[in-house]
Amino acid sequence: MKFNAYYEPKTVEECVQILSEQGSDVKMLAGGTDLVIRLRSRALKPKTVVSLNAIPELSEVSLKEDGLYIGAMARLMDVSKSELLTGAWKIVKTGAGNVSSMQVRNIATLGGNSCNASPSADTVPGLVVSGAIANIVGKNGNRSVLLEEFFTGPGKTVLADDEMLVSFKIPKYADKTGAVYKKYSIRGDTDIAIIGVAGKVTLNAQDEVVDVKIALGGVAPTVIRVPKAEALLSGKKLTDQLIEEAAVIASESCTPITDARATKEYRKEMVKVWVRHVLKDAAQEAQKN
Amino acid sequence: MSDCEKTNYIGKSVQRVDVYEKATGKAKYFEDYQVQYRDLLHVKVLRSPHAHAKIVSIDASAAEALPGVATVVKGSDPDIAWADIPYASSYYGNPAKDEVIWAGQAVVAVAAESIEIAEQALELVKVVYEELPYVVDQREAFKADAVSVTSPELGIAAGYGGVQPEGPNVMGSYKLTHGDVEKAFAEADVIVEEEYQAGKKSTSQIECNGSIVEYHEGGGVTIITNGCGVHGVVKNHILTMYPQLSSNKVRVIQPVTGGSFGNRLFPLVEPLAVLMALRTKRTVSYVLTRKEMYTSSPSNWPVYTKLKLGAKKDGTIIAEKLELVEDAGAQIRGYFDGRLSSSGLMCVYNIPNVQCDSYAVRTNTMPCAPYRGLGCAESEWAMENLIDVLAEKLDMDPLEIRLKNILKKGETNPYGEKVTSIGLGRCLEAVADAINIDEPCQQDGGPWKYGKGIAAAGKQNTPLGRAEADCLVHSDGSIELLVSCDEQGMGVQTTLRQMAATEFQIDIEKVKVTRADTAITPYDNFGASSRTTYTTGNAVIIACQDAIDQLKEAAGRKVGLAKKQVTIKNGKAYFVGSNIESIDIADLYEPFSFFTQQTWGLLKGTPVRGRGVFCPAPAVEWFGPGHEDGRTPRMWNWYQYSAFGAEVAVNEETGQIKILKLMSTADTGNPINPKLVEGQIDGGVIMALGFSIMDHHMFQDGKMMNPNMSDYRLPTTLETPLQKNFMRAILPDPLPDGPFNAKGMAESIMIPVGPAIAAAIYQAIGVRPTEMPMTAERVLKLIKDKEASDAK
Repeated sequence: MKFNAYYEPKTVEECVQILSEQGSDVKMLAGGTDLVIRLRSRALKPKTVVSLNAIPELSEVSLKEDGLYIGAMARLMDVSKSELLTGAWKIVKTGAGNVSSMQVRNIATLGGNSCNASPSADTVPGLVVSGAIANIVGKNGNRSVLLEEFFTGPGKTVLADDEMLVSFKIPKYADKTGAVYKKYSIRGDTDIAIIGVAGKVTLNAQDEVVDVKIALGGVAPTVIRVPKAEALLSGKKLTDQLIEEAAVIASESCTPITDARATKEYRKEMVKVWVRHVLKDAAQEAQKN
Repeated sequence: MSDCEKTNYIGKSVQRVDVYEKATGKAKYFEDYQVQYRDLLHVKVLRSPHAHAKIVSIDASAAEALPGVATVVKGSDPDIAWADIPYASSYYGNPAKDEVIWAGQAVVAVAAESIEIAEQALELVKVVYEELPYVVDQREAFKADAVSVTSPELGIAAGYGGVQPEGPNVMGSYKLTHGDVEKAFAEADVIVEEEYQAGKKSTSQIECNGSIVEYHEGGGVTIITNGCGVHGVVKNHILTMYPQLSSNKVRVIQPVTGGSFGNRLFPLVEPLAVLMALRTKRTVSYVLTRKEMYTSSPSNWPVYTKLKLGAKKDGTIIAEKLELVEDAGAQIRGYFDGRLSSSGLMCVYNIPNVQCDSYAVRTNTMPCAPYRGLGCAESEWAMENLIDVLAEKLDMDPLEIRLKNILKKGETNPYGEKVTSIGLGRCLEAVADAINIDEPCQQDGGPWKYGKGIAAAGKQNTPLGRAEADCLVHSDGSIELLVSCDEQGMGVQTTLRQMAATEFQIDIEKVKVTRADTAITPYDNFGASSRTTYTTGNAVIIACQDAIDQLKEAAGRKVGLAKKQVTIKNGKAYFVGSNIESIDIADLYEPFSFFTQQTWGLLKGTPVRGRGVFCPAPAVEWFGPGHEDGRTPRMWNWYQYSAFGAEVAVNEETGQIKILKLMSTADTGNPINPKLVEGQIDGGVIMALGFSIMDHHMFQDGKMMNPNMSDYRLPTTLETPLQKNFMRAILPDPLPDGPFNAKGMAESIMIPVGPAIAAAIYQAIGVRPTEMPMTAERVLKLIKDKEASDAK
């Protein structure tokens, strides 16, 4: 592990200044649970490493009028235990709690899990179905993008060289909304997900679906939504048969690869299984919230 | 309690001697010695990205010129040892010369002032490859028209060492004929036949392989290593590879080590580090990374078995026909011919007619070495599964058919060997009982389906090698054992101490073990084949008896008695036929000073030294006149046995398997330290759960896809049953020639785990896995195939 320069800015402004000066050969260090491994294996050889660990404001979690704000540097352990994440927001807790082991969660961050842009990141599908917005600060000001539009490929995001993710905003959810994330892996949470499925369902008084979002992890270059399945379910009562149809559509609409965790065929089969479980459980949750 | 009972430590769970130093982090592993050396060089190795390729050119000039680089080793260097084969040294830790034959093979090695510089240097090396056809699938490699693992024009063909090749990649074969198999199949009422495959796996011990080689002026080396067999493996290899080093110029020390399971039986890191130390006249440290542990240190040998069994209506198995192929990987030399794995199909059941055709084949994959169980977990996977199929066809229960057919003590196995110790019947009954095999599992209507299964296993022990031990009786009356056996975690230091304390009838606190330093401790081969308790243990007992004999002589002389009138116990010499009742051992040693003359006899400060040497009885020639049928009255040494029972849950939607309850039983001979035996059972069971349902090498484009611990899935506590459902029992049949009638036991426990789980899966969901590991994907495919065929 070797790099020429290491910075530890104290404020977001200072950090953005450093980023703009250093150009493209920079890596930001959040929890480091992915970055340090890649630095050590020499898979990444950046000129400069900028740590975000000395900027306290990045770790803040606060409930505001328009939703819940979670700082990019909030540790996954804290997110997984946050008492502010109630009701349909619990899906964010679940995702954070599903990442690896306790030791990793103690240091890894919610922002890092997104910026690492792994298609199988456990926190992302839940944030995507929750309609999370990524708040970005750069040299030329602030901008916000919908998290599902934040990713451009494996390991790639919309962040420019001089930009950083500072927080997530999770909008408020409607009554009778249930959201569930299921991670499927061989060795429980210590494994990277073979697939991850998040589903959010909002029902009306007649128990018809007024809003539904399905997000799949580990089956495409980025976390994806399944608009065709969502359209099928909208405005209808969720029956076993309908859910099964949606699960089949989800399975057919993803484009997984074969890797050391599973073959693409198995991933598609698992999408079918877990979309079914997620939708059933989300509908049940919706009755509670 | 009599004195004798107090000092009988056999069968007592004495605490491990190394428990505090390991638990507190004080134990020193080889890497802890790096800090002693200010002139330390670090080794990094560039490895082949291709399964098979011609090396067109290597340009290492920029690496050699990089400041901080001390030496660069290439396969074409003149001082490479064992470079007798044209394209690559037969020592597979050396850099390759003309071609690479597996992805992960060394190509260029660099020793530099720091790991960083060494890594940087490797990035400057330019290698031009010309990719060649490769074969990683052992069934493909075995075919007569297969792609050749090596390039034939480079002069090495299959069949090294005079063996007639039967295909381009076939290394050797072992064939046995016992009785008349074809006639027996004709007489059988039921015949079953199936093909089985067991996968490629790595032992994955916690400590990566490595060593430090210290250079001495005058050309000697001290090797501090976690390699196995300081004398029998490491030193012997170094002496034969580097003729300029004489025996007194090589010292090998093995400090505390973190596991081996057979992986370190091949000295992979030491020879290259020695070469670099000799070149640079400096101390060199070479440690494999975890990735290299998978791609560049030995795996097991996968096994393909085609097995056919014939039985009478009453369940008596009368015929066995097997074709078995061991996949030795990209190994040029080697002793592989199918004999090791096929031994598992000869030692459990009494079958009067057996035809065995076994082979070893090369593939373009990581070369193999022993993996706990020596290929028997891979071959008995076939036998135990097929016995279950047979039982179903015969409408017999799995316990009954096994009890009916297992070898009994005094019977002769298919090799022609008489079985001297077998406790398998009790082992089987105990596992069947523990999981209530007769009581079907309750199903709950959910996606998890439940089932139970049992299996049996046997494993031979090697007749190879010898062990020596010195027993020092110090002038304070304390005992010190000098031994060179490996301590790979099994607890042998403690059991040897128990044996010595029992021989001397002395408090165990007075016995200490000094181990594994070729300058101090006498010869031993290696810690493998579960041999240490038996072979080293017997040597220790002989050494103790020799020392006791010397003490008796000295004590008798002191009071004017013959040694037969002396008994040694409790740190004293007791006499009969004298007015003196006893003398403390310590008082037998005369004090002496600078001015003392005539210092004969026992002196303070100089211990009595007892010597023990033990060799197992030799095997009878495996080939040659009188043994054309492959049979012999002594093929191996003794056999260890085990049985396993499991209750499992299978998820019909995902194919996942959960082990809910398990029972492992082991015939260990008389256990010296039951707690340590139980620890071995539990560790072995978890390791076997791993390779039964999860961990294996996966290949894509001829390369291992999962050479890291996040993708090479070893079991964790999450994969093991709750403590109350994790059961084990020691059910010994004493071994007549074992030390205190003990035998080794670390391997048989591995073998029945997979097939018992497979039987449970069949009971749960009606599919029979034939391929190990039984991953979720493979099980789900079987379930889907069954659904499709049921729908027809």
